[in-house]
Amino acid sequence: MIEIKSLKKTYRERTVLDIDKLVIDDGTILAVAGANGSGKSTLLRILACQLKATEGEIASPENSLYMPQQAYAFRGNLIDNITLSGADRETAKQLLEKLELSHLSEKKATSLSGGELQRLSLCRVLSRKAELLLLDEPTSACDVRGAELVVNAIKEYREENGCTVVMSTHAPALALKAADRMIILGNGKIEADGTPADIFNKPETDWAKSFTAGWKTDA
Amino acid sequence: MDSFRQAFDLLFSLDRELLQILGVTMRMSFFSTAISCLIGLPLGALIGTKSFKGKSFLKKLIHTLMGLPPVVAGLFVYTLFTHYGPFGELNLLFTVKIMVIAQVILITPIVTGLSSSFIESTSKPIIETARGLGLNNLKIVGLCLSEGRTSLVSIVLTAFGRSIAEVGAVSIVGGNIQWKTRVMTTAIMLETNKGKFSFALALGIVLLLIAFVVNALASFMVKEAKND
Ligand SMILES: Nc1ncnc2c1ncn2[C@@H]1O[C@H](COP(=O)(O)OP(=O)(O)OP(=O)(O)O)[C@@H](O)[C@H]1O
Ligand SMILES: [Mg+2]
Repeated sequence: MIEIKSLKKTYRERTVLDIDKLVIDDGTILAVAGANGSGKSTLLRILACQLKATEGEIASPENSLYMPQQAYAFRGNLIDNITLSGADRETAKQLLEKLELSHLSEKKATSLSGGELQRLSLCRVLSRKAELLLLDEPTSACDVRGAELVVNAIKEYREENGCTVVMSTHAPALALKAADRMIILGNGKIEADGTPADIFNKPETDWAKSFTAGWKTDA
Repeated sequence: MDSFRQAFDLLFSLDRELLQILGVTMRMSFFSTAISCLIGLPLGALIGTKSFKGKSFLKKLIHTLMGLPPVVAGLFVYTLFTHYGPFGELNLLFTVKIMVIAQVILITPIVTGLSSSFIESTSKPIIETARGLGLNNLKIVGLCLSEGRTSLVSIVLTAFGRSIAEVGAVSIVGGNIQWKTRVMTTAIMLETNKGKFSFALALGIVLLLIAFVVNALASFMVKEAKND
């Protein structure tokens, strides 16, 4: 279980994250939505211990994996890029197969397209085991097929490891397909919390209504 | 054209004095580069990755020292090691050792400054990604080094180039003593002062050739590593 209490992150005078209380049950896939700059990456970084909160308490599993919003290509081919996590070549090949990158496995990672690199970055994370998976916009660069592969891989990993997943996203379709629960951040505060379908179909507050209104047109 | 011929004649005649001067030059440059890099690279990595109090002051200081005029460094070391100076008893003045010390003072800030700004700009995403995978610090440092090896090699080469080309500091503390502390640059100075321009030019061409060979070797090594 992850438990966050009166969490705040402040840069100089500006509070960019302000969460009163957030409890995430084990095994949940939680989607974190919100406009640019609403604090999604900040929340994930804090959960990943990459960033210190200004104040507040967090109880979360030690053993977590975190995928940054900006995917990084290391030197070497795709297999090297996965095995640097400590995984063996066999695991790497299986993951590449699952995310339909096998045909590129001997190519340099730096030559990949944005969406391919993002899937590679996911392979690298999934090559290890953890109780908590933190993914910052795992499908932002993917096409429809790519996003579907990512969602399936995340769900499969959750089934196999029984882990909790927290992922930020701008894609309502991804939240609907993958997540058990969704929160929407607005200026660092949780403005909506529920199942993606509920938030999508019957938003409770005016704020949530106007935020999700944008989604209906492009869904 | 005459100087070119003379340069090649010089090189291939294997003149005993020239070889000795070359030997001193290489020894001095090698040790100055090695020591500066041993101090400067870890220091640069530390400054580039950690945040601490006084960091911006330290960076300003390093950037100032990067532009330290060699004669000033030479003078400073000279006063420290002169007979009446605090380290006078070590009797190091006019030896290759003290030339190395003066050069380390000159070059370490350059290595530190270059490596810290390089690491600051490139290692952030590497560290974030690697830590996200739960890798240990040793592994992370290894990844940063291997990702940045081309730039690291060029920093080392900059240090070496600076060291081999430097004249102000080494002539003050080394004294340009024949068969002892004379290096290529101080020899060139001397020949120029004597009016033997084409011989000086020939020495300069030899110096350039060495620099070229070192650079070529280094880039060859980086390429080799890339292919593995
Ligand atoms: N180091 C920093 N210094 C000052 N402000 C920062 C810093 N890092 C982030 N911020 C601010 O914090 C706010 C939240 O940033 P965050 O990256 O969490 O947004 P986000 O929800 O992930 O946005 P996006 O959808 O664009 O990825 C932004 O307004 C950003 O400008
Ligand atoms: Mg973000």
